[in-house]
Amino acid sequence: MSCNEERKIVAVVDDDDSVRGTLQALLRVAGFSSRAFESAEDFLGSGLQRETACLITDIRMPGMSGLELQARLNAERCRIPTIFITAHGDEEMRFRALRAGAVEFLPKPFDDDVLVESVRAALER
Amino acid sequence: MNNPENVKWTRGPAASAAWRYGLALVSVAAALGMASAFIYFHLPQTFGAFALSAIAVTFWYAGTAPGIFAAVLSSIVRDYLFNVHTSTESRILFDLVFLVFALLMTQVVRSRNELERRVAERTAELTRSNDNLKREIADRNQAEYLTGQVFECSPDAVLIIGTDYRYKRVNPVHARNWGRPAESMVGMHMAELVGAEFFEQRLRPFLDRCLAGESVRFEDWFDNARGHRFISATYSPLRSDSHEVEAALVIARDLTEHALSSEALRQAQADLAHTSRITTMGELTASLAHEVNQPITAAVMGASTCVRWLTRDEPDLGEACEAAQGAIRNAKRAAEIINRIRSILKKGESKRQLADVNELIREMIALLRSETNRYSVSVHTELDAGLPKIMADPVQVQQVVMNLIMNGVDAMKEVDQTRELTIRSRLSDDGQLTISVSDTGVGLPQKETGRIFDAFFTTKPHGIGMGLRISRSIVESHGGRLWATDNSPRGACFHFTLPVPTEAQE
Repeated sequence: MSCNEERKIVAVVDDDDSVRGTLQALLRVAGFSSRAFESAEDFLGSGLQRETACLITDIRMPGMSGLELQARLNAERCRIPTIFITAHGDEEMRFRALRAGAVEFLPKPFDDDVLVESVRAALER
Repeated sequence: MNNPENVKWTRGPAASAAWRYGLALVSVAAALGMASAFIYFHLPQTFGAFALSAIAVTFWYAGTAPGIFAAVLSSIVRDYLFNVHTSTESRILFDLVFLVFALLMTQVVRSRNELERRVAERTAELTRSNDNLKREIADRNQAEYLTGQVFECSPDAVLIIGTDYRYKRVNPVHARNWGRPAESMVGMHMAELVGAEFFEQRLRPFLDRCLAGESVRFEDWFDNARGHRFISATYSPLRSDSHEVEAALVIARDLTEHALSSEALRQAQADLAHTSRITTMGELTASLAHEVNQPITAAVMGASTCVRWLTRDEPDLGEACEAAQGAIRNAKRAAEIINRIRSILKKGESKRQLADVNELIREMIALLRSETNRYSVSVHTELDAGLPKIMADPVQVQQVVMNLIMNGVDAMKEVDQTRELTIRSRLSDDGQLTISVSDTGVGLPQKETGRIFDAFFTTKPHGIGMGLRISRSIVESHGGRLWATDNSPRGACFHFTLPVPTEAQE
């Protein structure tokens, strides 16, 4: 199944309320429209994958992890440019994520400019 | 009883008949001799008088049969030796006199024998009574001696206090405790010895209950001549024969060493709990760092957003302010988490205070969120609203919750299916606050279920095995219980209760 309809939305997936909220506020001031999801399952269940131009997700979450989400999307052939934000920036995980097609792997707390630029780059693909 | 003085040597079956009848003969012969002598000396006396004496003597000392024999003999002697020329009527009259006398003597002897028998009986009775009394007195003396020994030699302070609150009797230990001789305390009012305030506030309430008939026990710290001592005392009512309470028996034991060592034990347990907390927190360092990182990230993003709003071509102050305020909130949240960690790591006196259990649970869940996320465990709570506050050490209660949550997570690490941790709090029917932590992990060990609370028992490859042991001792020191049940369809459930202060139960 291909997801190549017009995509505009930045999806934010993080179980932490404050991270979700502030990330959405940051994206808003940077001029992006975003939707936030509390869990990977919520995102998958929303059916918005096809409209998602960029996915920003945490790795460690209850239930499905960020990496598992990436794998699931890959399996569904829904290649959404993904930016991982996580406090667990160990090398092995970074390597796995990037090899599976992640656009960026940002440890928390991250530089807002780097994030915004990554999102912009992802949207211009 | 063969008392030689009592048995007349002429009476009884032992005395031979020869002696007895011999006595009859001898006494009659003596009467005859006497009469003859009197006649010879021309003294006025008849054989009859002497014969009667002889008969009397014989009856008295030899018995009835010899006495009769003596009477007959005397009659014959009189007839043939003294009254030869008297008429038959006179003889018969004399015989009659002897007969009557003999009969009288028989009665006399019989009465005497009866009297002696009765006297012997009475004497025997009295002797028996006397012996019983002596035995009773000896027993009583023995009992009194033993009681006195107990009183005097007891290692505890033993004293008797009357209804007038004055000492009736005190033992040496009590005297020593107060540094005065025992005799000096007898009759003294308690308030004089221990102080009026101390007596009124601390002793009198218990004493009054005892004097009203109740057995009372209490223990507390007191100051006496030996210093600051921990005394366990019992007050028992002493009743008179009319069943009225007339005094209080006080037994007081000095348990200072025990109290100090149980205090040391409590301190050692607190130290162990603290060490365990630190160890666990050490294992959680990465997760805790992550947990602090979340609000810090949010604060950084909020500040960045604020800057962006201010540096736009058309700055929006309102939005900038909102973003900045959000940043402040998140930074404060980060500080709270740090404080929470710090208070858990702190070693301190176990401080009991009124605590909201649900709040403690939520805080701990938040603190451990990174850890539960790390293993993809979803955490659900069913916390009963409106639970009463309890008197507890918040850090220790959180330690228990932390231990149970960590155990639940560990149990689910090997399980591929859904990993769910559920924490419930509710007030049970018997007024106990019950907290349950259940997981969907490997479940309780089948064979050694009881042992999971033992020290050093662990099913984890790198576990020490003290977590549940410490948790249980924390819960029990608060007056609650900790136990485990199976969760269905799989996993385990750990429950612990905490008693609610009675005022809150009303």
